[in-house]
Amino acid sequence: MTGKAQKRTERAAEHLKRQQAQERRRNTLVVVGVVVAMALVIGAGFLVNSLRDSSQDISAAPAGSTDHGVAIGDPDAPRQVVIYEDFLCPYCGQLEQASSDALTRLADEGKVYVDYRPFNLLGTDYSVDAVNAFAVVLEAAGPEVAKSFHDELYADQPAESGPYPDADWFVDKAVEAGASEAEVRSGIEDGAQETWVEEATAAAAAAGVNSTPTVLLDGQFFQDGRTMQEIADNLEAALE
Amino acid sequence: MKEWLGLLARLVTGGVWIVAGAVKLPDPHASVQAVRAYEILPASAAETVGYLLPVVEIVIGLALVLGVLTRGAAVASALLFVAFIVGIASVWARGLEIDCGCFGGGGYDPGATSNYPWEIARDVGLLALSGYLVWLRTSRLALDNLLFRRTSSMM
Repeated sequence: MTGKAQKRTERAAEHLKRQQAQERRRNTLVVVGVVVAMALVIGAGFLVNSLRDSSQDISAAPAGSTDHGVAIGDPDAPRQVVIYEDFLCPYCGQLEQASSDALTRLADEGKVYVDYRPFNLLGTDYSVDAVNAFAVVLEAAGPEVAKSFHDELYADQPAESGPYPDADWFVDKAVEAGASEAEVRSGIEDGAQETWVEEATAAAAAAGVNSTPTVLLDGQFFQDGRTMQEIADNLEAALE
Repeated sequence: MKEWLGLLARLVTGGVWIVAGAVKLPDPHASVQAVRAYEILPASAAETVGYLLPVVEIVIGLALVLGVLTRGAAVASALLFVAFIVGIASVWARGLEIDCGCFGGGGYDPGATSNYPWEIARDVGLLALSGYLVWLRTSRLALDNLLFRRTSSMM
């Protein structure tokens, strides 16, 4: 190989190397550019999604201040809990099972004032019938019996897909809770309090409640925990 | 031939991602509830994932369909499928009955147990397609082919 030819080859090799380096830089820039663009889209989407989710902006009336629930404990207790629930919703059943005893005890100890607000979220016949029966019992026999009736219903909650129990079943539960059959039977059979059900449901919607159970601790949405059991435990711990 | 198969894999996997993300987009709250239903993540993390997931799915889907950063998108796609398979298997093992929320929905669903095997099988299939794309590197009709010019070793 002559010196000249060798020089030419070297130059060509160098040129190729420079070009490849340039390509690499360019490709890296493209990758970085596309990745940054994707990250921006994802970040913007995340922000928009979190702003669009209004499920935690709940402005519920304070515990004990509405006609559409039953409150237990001392109204002057230092903490307030409001629970919106549907009698058929399985998670409400789990929460009740996990929290009912503790909340009753804490209410008895004067640590919390708890307001249970059943309404019709799921739109099933059972949701309506159960809240109607609850309202009938509340009117006929007062809040304490209504609370026991509420507990009885959750203790024996039917499956969400049915079959749903009939009026006699509700009457039996009401009597077990302490109501007299004569006072509640016709109201349960005739759906006498269905207007109450509609009002309670409208009130829940107006408060911004769109899922159940919705637990509020001192007016703030409380969902601290992975399971209903954990949420109940954390709520209990917060109230101790 | 392989490169055309790659295109098919991109369209199928990317199409599924776009649909899965798009149907979740209208209701961020439902998306969070669907994540919570797995009872794996604590509340705040479930919220973050619930908000992020639909957008991430659409971005990965678009990247695969268009063929932009195909390999990277395929890696992300594969990782997500692994996460979903683990999630569904974990729910199944714990005896929870939930709608997987894969295409919207989510939450308690009685009788969901019979869906789990099919959902896992579907995700395994899509995981395989994603893996194939990682292995293949290049495919037909991908924007990557325009974006990245390759200098041949000899000019």
